Amino acid sequence: MTEFQILFEQHKDLITIAVYGTSIALIVIGLYAVLMKKHLIKIVIGLSIMDAGIHLLFVAIGYISGGTAPIFSRGNENAGARMVDPVPQALVLTAIVIGFAITALALSLIIRLYKHHHTANIDQLNSLKW
Amino acid sequence: MVITPVHYIIAPLIAAFAIPLLTKIHKDAARVVPGIVLFYNVIVSFVLMKHIREHGMISEVLAGWQAPWGINLVVTPFTGYLASMVSILGFIIWLYGFRFKRTLKGGEIKFYEILQMMMIAGSIGIIITGDIFNLFVFIEIVGISAFSLTAFYRSRDGAEAGFKYLLIGGFASAFLLLGIIIIYTQTGSLNMAQIAERMPDVPQQMKIIALIFFLVALGIEAEMFPLNGWAPDAYSQAPTPTSATFAAVVSVAGVYALIRVVYTMFDVEGVNNYLMIMGFVSMLIAEIAAISQKNLKRMLAYSSMGQIGLVLIAFGIGSKLAVFGALFLMLNHGVIKSLLFMTGSYFIYNTEDKKIKSLNGIYKKLPFVSFLFGLGALALIGFPPFSGFWSKFYILMSAADEKYIFLIIGILLVTVIELTYYLRVVGRIFFAKEEGEPASHKPSVNAIIAMSSLALFIIVIGVYPDLIMPHIQSAAEALLDKSNYIQQILSLN
Amino acid sequence: MEIIAIILLILLVGSFLTYFVDSFNKKWTGTTAFLIVLITAGIFFTKIKSGYQFNFQLAGLDLQWGLTDYSYYFVYIILGLSVLALLYSIKYMEGKARLGYFYGSFILTVLGMLGVVISQDFVSLFFFWEIMTWASFLLVIYNAYYKIKTKGIKYMIFSAVGAYAMFTAIVFIHVHYDTLLISEAIAKGAFNFEQYIYIPIFLLLGFGIKAAVMPFHVWAPPAYAKSPMSFTTIFSGAMSKMGVFGIGLVFTSFYLSSNPENFFWVRTILGWMGGITAVMGTIYALIQTDAKKLLAYSSVAQLGYIIVGLSTGTQLGVMAALYLAVIHAVFKGALFMVAGAVEKQAGTTDMTQISGLIRKMPYTFVVALVSIIALAGVPPLGGFVGKWLLYEALITESNNYILVVVVFFSSTAAFMYSYRFLFGLFLGQEEKETEHVKEAPATMIIPMIILAIIATVAGAYPGLIFEPAAKAMQAIGFQDVTWQMSSLTNVWGDTTDLFLIAMLIFAVFIISFVFLTLKGLKKTRYVGTKDISTSGELPKEWENLTFQLDFFKPFERAAAPLYKMDMNKIWKDLGKNLEAFFGFFRKIYTGNGQTYALYIVIFLVVLLLFRDVLFS
Repeated sequence: MTEFQILFEQHKDLITIAVYGTSIALIVIGLYAVLMKKHLIKIVIGLSIMDAGIHLLFVAIGYISGGTAPIFSRGNENAGARMVDPVPQALVLTAIVIGFAITALALSLIIRLYKHHHTANIDQLNSLKW
Repeated sequence: MVITPVHYIIAPLIAAFAIPLLTKIHKDAARVVPGIVLFYNVIVSFVLMKHIREHGMISEVLAGWQAPWGINLVVTPFTGYLASMVSILGFIIWLYGFRFKRTLKGGEIKFYEILQMMMIAGSIGIIITGDIFNLFVFIEIVGISAFSLTAFYRSRDGAEAGFKYLLIGGFASAFLLLGIIIIYTQTGSLNMAQIAERMPDVPQQMKIIALIFFLVALGIEAEMFPLNGWAPDAYSQAPTPTSATFAAVVSVAGVYALIRVVYTMFDVEGVNNYLMIMGFVSMLIAEIAAISQKNLKRMLAYSSMGQIGLVLIAFGIGSKLAVFGALFLMLNHGVIKSLLFMTGSYFIYNTEDKKIKSLNGIYKKLPFVSFLFGLGALALIGFPPFSGFWSKFYILMSAADEKYIFLIIGILLVTVIELTYYLRVVGRIFFAKEEGEPASHKPSVNAIIAMSSLALFIIVIGVYPDLIMPHIQSAAEALLDKSNYIQQILSLN
Repeated sequence: MEIIAIILLILLVGSFLTYFVDSFNKKWTGTTAFLIVLITAGIFFTKIKSGYQFNFQLAGLDLQWGLTDYSYYFVYIILGLSVLALLYSIKYMEGKARLGYFYGSFILTVLGMLGVVISQDFVSLFFFWEIMTWASFLLVIYNAYYKIKTKGIKYMIFSAVGAYAMFTAIVFIHVHYDTLLISEAIAKGAFNFEQYIYIPIFLLLGFGIKAAVMPFHVWAPPAYAKSPMSFTTIFSGAMSKMGVFGIGLVFTSFYLSSNPENFFWVRTILGWMGGITAVMGTIYALIQTDAKKLLAYSSVAQLGYIIVGLSTGTQLGVMAALYLAVIHAVFKGALFMVAGAVEKQAGTTDMTQISGLIRKMPYTFVVALVSIIALAGVPPLGGFVGKWLLYEALITESNNYILVVVVFFSSTAAFMYSYRFLFGLFLGQEEKETEHVKEAPATMIIPMIILAIIATVAGAYPGLIFEPAAKAMQAIGFQDVTWQMSSLTNVWGDTTDLFLIAMLIFAVFIISFVFLTLKGLKKTRYVGTKDISTSGELPKEWENLTFQLDFFKPFERAAAPLYKMDMNKIWKDLGKNLEAFFGFFRKIYTGNGQTYALYIVIFLVVLLLFRDVLFS
């Protein structure tokens, strides 16, 4: 057992709380930014932070304390019981890629909007209404 | 070569990567290849429908992992019906838009065609997938294509609409992911059938919270009030074939996802009432908002939201007849609203602004298109002898069977509002004073074929609905038979 | 294939055919339409007899088409009038735009009406009812394009509300009585007010709106007046009778099946609705200066009589209503054709603009004279018999004397507008503007004359109409309906020989006509309106001296309070307020993406907070 693992075992609860707390805090911060900030880029940042929080939450849920990476290797065939759940990690990878695409698209739209309206304030983007 | 459900997904994906290369060989490849792919999808639909009529439903596993673990694609009469409908409408919309923006440079049209194809393919993916996370991925594929297409025009407010759509779509994906997380922790599965099987063991509170996240996230896709702020902007700013796709394809997929989650995955009481009430509120608010619109496409967008509201009401009623009516209405709405967008596009094309008041007397310029628009408007309101009549008839009939008298009266009063604004537009088209010069943009042959085939469908089904009813009936049965779905998928492997 | 399906198919295909004939040759459009409906009528009357029935399945529903004597009675009105109206249309519509559209919709309307009366189940009834409604809407907006937002839409909204009310009733008949067949519904007492009261009320609403009953009559006058006259003939003559058809079917069966004591209030309310319709229609007709509008309001009033007749629910009353339904179709059809001919030849029907057309359009005048006499209910013409029966029914069998007074008042006041119509258009001095006017073409005159002859013969031989009417009444449940060919017998045993009266009056008429003409030929000098001088002052060219200006001014002043109660304004205000309200609501869509996002989050939070209330 490495030094790190020992340290981890000692503060398991604290770390769990920290991870879950962080992810929820990230979601709330992201939500706040999306709903309250007026600058388009800040809104997109908020969206990304929210996504990050959700991803973190997902990975944290799949974690088994003291688990190993979900890889079968020679000489380690019966490691299945101690592995962390691989599914959330796979899903989060996909979700990150999607989030990346959406962020890129959003930023390109913001550039387009800025060129047209010469502002990045969301309150002024209401030529389509009612 | 044996045709399997995966061809629905594979063909567009391969084509999407091949098109940029093929355009190097011939510049029209970008236009033609999506058509071939979408037509192939239509063939796939027919083959699969024939197969499931003879041998029962298909559940195809991907990458060799069996159903609860791997991703599976499911074609039941229900999903097969919706997938066929979406692929046929997608093909017709492609046909309509074949000569779309011929003046645009090759680069732009390439993106348009690829995105359009991916949007339709993604919608089919939403419908046939049996895996909840895969559903999320397909929703994002549709989403990204839709955001980009909404912002396709540089000259207009497309970017604004696209950004709003993206913002709200971001919420949808976040909430959907949260819902999936909760479901995964509680059931340990991502397969819809297995989730449904394990759902009774899930604690009630967890179940309801997960359901709420799903309802909100998928409600955004299904244009449910008050989550539908993006819809009028996106519909009105997107290129017209895309607007038609939103109405005929994307919203169908959205409603499908909502219904699949509500009907198959969860077993929560009260959700039917929720669907009914929110459907009615959506319908009412949308039609109220539509009545004083000045922009034709925006008006059509609100009308779409209203029709989807009616679909949700019918799903909320939940009896077999109601589900039948809802599925029928989804088909009718897809056909009719596509027709209205297509014809409306030619009006807009000839008036330069999208305003309703400049449609005055456009009948003289575009007689055939006007005729089709009038037909579509009458059909959408639900007048006989057009197809829209039967779907509304069955929905109201099912509401009466459950003795929802106020719901019936409400729906009919909202229909009166709907009728008012549609007939005003029809009146303007046919009768108001003629202004401006003769048509500079006559419809092209492919557009006429596309529109006529839709109109023909409307009339033929209106006079003889028995032609399509057995399919819808078996689709409704398949949706309601939840235990069969679970059993088939979990034992078919 | 069943003959009835073939007939409907001919009409459906014919409608499209006419539409496309117009694109090839505008001259043949009208003739094609006429021939199609003529052929249809021919096939119908030769091949289909009363008692015909056709059962089939469509869309998982058992449907039934067929003809009883009752529906056959209305087929006479529909097809007969349609053929004449289309013959009239050929010349009337000549030179107008969008002929294909006009005739296509016209034939569809005929299809809808025919479908309504042949339907023996509610689904087909509603199906055809809606076809009839939207097809006629297309014709209403044909002329009134500049008023599309108000006039045409008003018609459509009222019609739709009526149709949907009917539909609500239909689905509840299905739920409560588990049937969609009209005959079965009647047998099970579905129209009974005692069980599920909303079913007959919604049906009454549906049919009543079509029959332009107060207070839902406001769509009718503008729609009648603004449609092309050849269509108004059908519109007021036949289509409004579809409402009568329905009310007759529903309420007679109810009356006959239940205890007279129990339906007293139903009868009273319906009767009074009819009575008020008659009075208000008449009073509004009085002050119209446009001949078409005058006739339109008069139609509303006449339908009021028919409703009064039906409301009694007695044999005599229903007979009066059915008789009036036909005779109204005949003379009002003729009068609308007259108005159309005047409009076509003189360019306007505004009675303050034209007068003295008698010498220019003598045949039209004769038709107008005969029809107006029939309308006013003077013997020896058809209207008299109907009104006689109506009064007798009201006095002897319903004991509703106030209603009698009301109806009598309205029918007397009808003389005033009859006079105004006749005098305004045809008598009086000639206006300079009408010098070029010629008699209408033959194909327009012939249908008018046919109708006038029917109105005359029906006055002398009312039995010709009583016979099918009696059969029709037997079909809806009356027993032993008695009638005579050419005389009326009242309950006190007095007999009036109509043929004799007719002969006498005609003799007097012809003698005085000959006498006056001979005398007049020598002495008459024709003068124009400007051909006068008062106190040595010559009237200016621009001065309007037509007889019609401020025609009923004193009456108008006396009845001023009545005109203030304008239903039209109430409905209009309602519409405006609703629209403003809607406009307020759509502000929910603020256009700000962030607000939409906020809606989503709030909605989510609300759902999460109330999760226990919503879901379990």
